[in-house]
Amino acid sequence: MSKITRAFQPNRVIDSGTTGLIVVFWAGTALLLWSLSPWKTLPTPREIWHAVGFLWWERGMGPEMFTTLKLIGEAVALTTVISLALSYATVIPFFRPVVAMTSKLRFLGLTGLVFPFTLMTGGGYTLKVALLTFGMTTFFVTSMAQVVIEIPRAEFDHMRVLGSSELRIFWEVVVRGTLDKALDVLRQNLAMGWAMITMVEGISRAEGGVGAMILDQNKHFNLAEVYAILLVILVLGLLMDYAMGALTNILCPHAAMGRVQR
Amino acid sequence: MNAATRGEVLLDVKALKLTLGGSLILDGVSFEVIDWVREGTTTGQIVSLLGPSGVGKTRVLRILAGLDAPNSGAVLGKDGKPLEAGSVGVVFQDYPLLRHHTVEGNLELAGAIGGLDGAESRKRTKELLKVFGLTERASFYPAQLSGGQKQRVAIAQQLVVPRQLLLMDEPFSGLDPAALEDVMKLLVDVANLHELNTIVVITHDIRAAMAVSDTLYMLGRDRKPDGTLIPGARIQATYDLVELDLAWKADVQSLPTFVALEREIKAKFRTL
Repeated sequence: MSKITRAFQPNRVIDSGTTGLIVVFWAGTALLLWSLSPWKTLPTPREIWHAVGFLWWERGMGPEMFTTLKLIGEAVALTTVISLALSYATVIPFFRPVVAMTSKLRFLGLTGLVFPFTLMTGGGYTLKVALLTFGMTTFFVTSMAQVVIEIPRAEFDHMRVLGSSELRIFWEVVVRGTLDKALDVLRQNLAMGWAMITMVEGISRAEGGVGAMILDQNKHFNLAEVYAILLVILVLGLLMDYAMGALTNILCPHAAMGRVQR
Repeated sequence: MNAATRGEVLLDVKALKLTLGGSLILDGVSFEVIDWVREGTTTGQIVSLLGPSGVGKTRVLRILAGLDAPNSGAVLGKDGKPLEAGSVGVVFQDYPLLRHHTVEGNLELAGAIGGLDGAESRKRTKELLKVFGLTERASFYPAQLSGGQKQRVAIAQQLVVPRQLLLMDEPFSGLDPAALEDVMKLLVDVANLHELNTIVVITHDIRAAMAVSDTLYMLGRDRKPDGTLIPGARIQATYDLVELDLAWKADVQSLPTFVALEREIKAKFRTL
């Protein structure tokens, strides 16, 4: 059976070369459709490329990106610490209601929380970090607490019959044993945080950031510039996602071995 | 009959009773493991606890391992003291190993937990990897091992810190004939590493259990005159394979007495 034929059949494993060909095909098709698009609301790739240059050299996109990366970096660090502490706390029955309640808060919209958070934080950069941290934490805790709850009892029993203390069981089974999954959850939440960035940065535009930048360009109907910023956000997001994947592979080489190809 | 004499009691299980969710699971399970002494050899003990699925075998294993407490009854070691979790090695059915540690790492961790210092733990690990034919797999993660290799690692891990009582949950389950022979030989080899070593095998594989054991205990429930099962399992029969001259023989499975006993046990099995 030829490699190309296999690519059109369900539940087949294809090699990396074929995967690369498929990706090139779809990327080329998307670029072609984009170039030939009759819609005036979709600038051409050339227009967007020029807009990227203009924003970078004339509007200081580099420092704005740095501002955004600093904001998301700080929020992600705080989210990780708070969320992991809460998720790991599910091993202690006393804390389970707190964790469950934190998870339920994900149904609150961030927009409605701006006012109380402004009063609590005094606004500005701290407000943005707090909002982003809150938004990501509720989702991180939901996913990570589930990971901890789903650890099979056999893994705890296995450590107990070796004579392990409960503290060591916690370290080996709960913390180290789920590290690859924690990194995966963090990877998903990083993407969610990145998606929230324009909304959060729009709250206090004076401090800049690509979120504030995109809202300014929106206001002036500069479509090419808006798409240029979206493209930069997408590329940066993908780079961060790739970096997280690489970090998981380095720290947890066993994780990829457990995955089944089909 | 083999020239063997009975030594001290190594394990004394006394009238275990267990109720779960209002249902009686175990109702006075009692049995003993005796040290068999054979001059000129190092002979460990292999005792099998046979019983149909769902009868409560794994519940007995969990109590022996100190993981669950019975409602009443006791599990006493050779010093007459109750066994505690960590003092008994257990190889669970699906061989849980820490997937983030390599084979070597899993064994060394068992050493560290058992109180060995780093150098001693590494030395013991190397010895066991050699004994179990795992030296070339030392740097592998559990996900890279076959089922048989995982089983060997799981057994080796329980032996890093010397423990004379090893419980094995369904070690013969799902094995092809060649692998089954290998596991049976491995069990005998592990038992015979030390005179006081004792392996308690929890299984429903009658033939394999008969081939490796010196004593068989059958766990099962009684029946009412109308044939319905009465809740609460207990030891229904004991087969002393030493007395029956069926223990410690390499070609035992071809003996007519073995075949006859297997038939008898199978018939009994259906009634439990």
